[in-house]
Amino acid sequence: MLEKLVNGLESFLFRHRLWVLLFFACCTAALGWQASQLRMDAAFVKNIPLAHPYMQTYLKHQQQFGGANSIMVAVEDRSGDIFNPEFFKALKEVHDQLFFIPGVDRSQVKSLYSPSTRFTEVVEDGFTGGPVIPADFSTSPAGLQKVKENIEKAGIVGRLVANDYSAAMISAQLLDFDPQTGAPLDTLAFADKLEQQLRDKYQTPQIRIHIIGFAKMAGDVAEGARGVLLFFVIALLVTAAMVYLFSRSVLLTVLPLTCSLVAVVWQLGLLNLIGFGLDPMSILVPFLVFAIGVSHGVQMINAIRQRVSAGMTSKQAAAAAFRALLVPGGVALLSDTVGFMTLLTIDIGIIRELAISASLGVGVIILTNLVLLPLVISFVTLRTAPTTSAVSPAKVWQRLAGFASPRYAWLIILLTVALYGFGLTQASRMQIGDLQRGAPALHESSRYNQDTFFITDHFAITTDVMSVIVEAFPEACTYHDVLQRIDDFEWYARNTPGVEFTASISSVARQVNAGFNEGNPRWLMLPRNPASLAQLVSQIPTTSGLLDGNCSVMPVYLFLQDHKAQTIDGVVAKVKQLAADMDTDKVKFKLASGPVGVMAATNEAVAAAQLPMMLYVYGAVFILCLLSFRSLRATLAVIIPLYVVSTLAQALMTRLNIGLTVSTLPVIALGVGIGVDYGIYILSIMAQKLREGMPVQQAYLDALCERGNAVIFTGLTLAVGVSTWFFSALKFQMDMGILLTFMFLVNMLGAIIILPALAAVFWPKRKLGSGQ
Amino acid sequence: MKFCVLFCSVICGLPLIASATPNEQGQQAITSQLQPLASKALVLDIKNAGNTLVAVGERGHILRLAATGNWQQVLTPSRNLLTRVTFVDAVNGWAVGHDATVMHSDDAGATWQLQYRSEELARPLMDVYFHDAQQGLAVGAYGLFLRTQDGGKHWQREFHDELLNADDAQYLQQLKTDDPQAYQQESDSILPHFNRLLPLSDGRLLLVGEMGLVAVSNDMGVHWQRLMFPYEGSLFAAKEYNGKVYVGGLRGNLFASDLSLQSWQSITLPQKTTINGITQVAGQLWLVGNSGVIIRLDADNQAQLVRQLKGENLLALAVAPKGGLWLAGTKGLQPITLE
Repeated sequence: MLEKLVNGLESFLFRHRLWVLLFFACCTAALGWQASQLRMDAAFVKNIPLAHPYMQTYLKHQQQFGGANSIMVAVEDRSGDIFNPEFFKALKEVHDQLFFIPGVDRSQVKSLYSPSTRFTEVVEDGFTGGPVIPADFSTSPAGLQKVKENIEKAGIVGRLVANDYSAAMISAQLLDFDPQTGAPLDTLAFADKLEQQLRDKYQTPQIRIHIIGFAKMAGDVAEGARGVLLFFVIALLVTAAMVYLFSRSVLLTVLPLTCSLVAVVWQLGLLNLIGFGLDPMSILVPFLVFAIGVSHGVQMINAIRQRVSAGMTSKQAAAAAFRALLVPGGVALLSDTVGFMTLLTIDIGIIRELAISASLGVGVIILTNLVLLPLVISFVTLRTAPTTSAVSPAKVWQRLAGFASPRYAWLIILLTVALYGFGLTQASRMQIGDLQRGAPALHESSRYNQDTFFITDHFAITTDVMSVIVEAFPEACTYHDVLQRIDDFEWYARNTPGVEFTASISSVARQVNAGFNEGNPRWLMLPRNPASLAQLVSQIPTTSGLLDGNCSVMPVYLFLQDHKAQTIDGVVAKVKQLAADMDTDKVKFKLASGPVGVMAATNEAVAAAQLPMMLYVYGAVFILCLLSFRSLRATLAVIIPLYVVSTLAQALMTRLNIGLTVSTLPVIALGVGIGVDYGIYILSIMAQKLREGMPVQQAYLDALCERGNAVIFTGLTLAVGVSTWFFSALKFQMDMGILLTFMFLVNMLGAIIILPALAAVFWPKRKLGSGQ
Repeated sequence: MKFCVLFCSVICGLPLIASATPNEQGQQAITSQLQPLASKALVLDIKNAGNTLVAVGERGHILRLAATGNWQQVLTPSRNLLTRVTFVDAVNGWAVGHDATVMHSDDAGATWQLQYRSEELARPLMDVYFHDAQQGLAVGAYGLFLRTQDGGKHWQREFHDELLNADDAQYLQQLKTDDPQAYQQESDSILPHFNRLLPLSDGRLLLVGEMGLVAVSNDMGVHWQRLMFPYEGSLFAAKEYNGKVYVGGLRGNLFASDLSLQSWQSITLPQKTTINGITQVAGQLWLVGNSGVIIRLDADNQAQLVRQLKGENLLALAVAPKGGLWLAGTKGLQPITLE
């Protein structure tokens, strides 16, 4: 029945070749226009598991506490001491420059030079104080000494001045909208301005500028993502060279590449059509689509050329190849799609988008490379020159076919088991989450992360913050028992390994109370009297992020030593237990917000998604193989090598210190979904021969002669497509590149080495028919 | 079917990362008073107890210096900020703090029993003095004054209006006749904070406190005489040494007098920062205070800033019986060596 359908399709399409081509041309034009409208899109919420309870808490209070889109500029004096006239001149200039960059909330620019930077001193009859940099400031030694004293009195060491006085900080909040145009703030343009108007302008051999903050990071990530275009061009050129080596024909190089590019255009166009943007992670998909397209295209030209060599005309050969490849090619591509679709079960927007756009792309390849390509080739005249390469393939295939002999088969299986055992012990040590310091999207050596390290090393500032949100009732902060409970919670959380420092309204209120009592540390406590508490709390502005307008919501901030998965796990476990222990009807401790809260939720979601994703992807591949081979043995012969390679990929992650994250989680599903193609291509021939009663070794040799070239070539093409990512400025792109290259290459090896060995064992000497 | 089972076991055997196993600690333990960072949290006082040191601080924390040189926290029946601790002999000691908390130990600080506490009073005791194992005084904010005759089993409040300054005494006297209700209210909070009790070598008792309060008593604090004093700010520390009495307080104010307590001389300090404690170490007086200052007072009353620790306030300095100096303050306990 299937055969009838394929034949019908073939005669229909090849009879109306021109119309079909015209249809493809129109679609390509339309989708090309759509693709040109595609926008870069890096929305933060796509990266997080929105349904996770932590993220519900996060989103609920984001407006009040989470929207801290701030920027920090540290001005460093290379001499190690800021108290010199040149430094203060530079600091003033940088302060003023930052103040005037559009998008900066001018009322929130803080540095030594902002008027709100004041010191207060306890005197006999109350408080006294003044600006840290007085109105009559001069950069004379005496003037600088005065400022130094004021800095110490103001208690701003660690915040506005480095712990070792080697740098000073200017911090600013960003507005959501450009005040002049009313348009939403263009984060990337803003990041550019920081680079041009601050760093380029004021950095000298003596003065160094360090800039961190979400806007700057987003700018650097976008900058890094731009490099991808170059990678695509390189991948295209290398692939073209490979296809030429394979086909020895310019025409047969250009045609599959063009069809694959058409697939990329369609995929990008469809992406825009359904309202998606392109983000630094799903930029991977066009590479995959192109590589998969080329590999299927190569199968196609291989099949056509063989038939032309056998004496057919181009058109006959193209039609025959279409008939021969539509079903195995379609099944292979379908299994890719199913592999991607399993990613939809993961509740992280960016992974779902990846799943949808990759499925679309692969679906498109069925049309462009299994239909369009043979149609186009049917128009051209192919030379029938023999295609012998330097090494006679037949000899190589003879050698390889030895893998299917019983003698080698057991050896290979033994080696595979050993390799698997080694992989398993390594893989069990694979970590979840980001394993390096600094912003995980960027390399440790990137300037942004170097700036981050400078600032976290020299200031009492860390970016690894998790906040627990205390949800209470209006005016809760005037109740002693509420504040005391928060204070106790903070203390117990502080006693957790991995927590370096904590802050909450309660600990600040205790400080204020001591301040009200002549700075006497014996009053570092929370008074019982509601009126006293109200007075204390009135000193703490809502801009501190410690309370909302009516103090019904009060976050407790936990500053962690790093954001390694192990650290986060330990802290989250303890805080969960504390919350369970200390919650009351009226006061709830809710996990979790802040950058580390988001990471904790993401880690949990990633960890929880791993098993189901594996089960679904293997389940889908299993069923597809079972359907196409109708043989359990054949199915297992395809799947076992895949599974061993997946384990080895996880082992590689452990060895290379790559954690399981939002970006590396889909890699195994992609690798399995695509890797299964090799096995299907080889076994579909073998199964047929085996059914005819041929011995395994002979069946494998036949399969190699017909498809070996294409399979090896496919593995190399796919690997080339993603290996350019090794050089990405973005850490996660590099990780994905390494892992995908590994999966593509090693799955190919698995299909030509482990698969025949398994087949030799599954179909022993007695010539059995099918595996019914 | 057999293959299916094999398949499932293979897939399920995939190396998966188990989610973090929940901490095995019981619920009791996580909110226990005993916490690893207790010795790094606010500590307000350190005293000798038998052959060791005992320190008190926030959340009812009491720590003892173990033979290993580490501080070991002990359980106490209080979660209040503790301000002072005193030992009358090798085993009997009292710790006092906020909510007028008084705790007693009869085993050199290993265990503690609550003797007095009043949330209604909601004011702190700032110092405690025991003449012997039976008779003791505890004083604190707004003139809080407690006395025991039975080793702390019972405490009586006393109101010492002789410690009012002249203006306040007159005002209160007038109120007593005009408006008895207002008198009650005012007298509850009109007295200055009592910050430090110091037994003098001649048997008298010295009390210093808020608004330049310096008073002396000949009868274990039953009657007090307020002394003329050249400074009207708060005083937090007092020490007798070498026939002189030293009193220190807010903004680097330090005064010395002979035992007549009549001739107070101001001593200039290198930093105008609050002095919280005065300790004698090896024949010299050492002052510790806010902004992390450690000041040495030389024989001629010349003050030297020996060390300044960044970002913390210091409350007390103590010599361990087996040698070694310990500092207490807002960053907890830390050893220190002074030349």
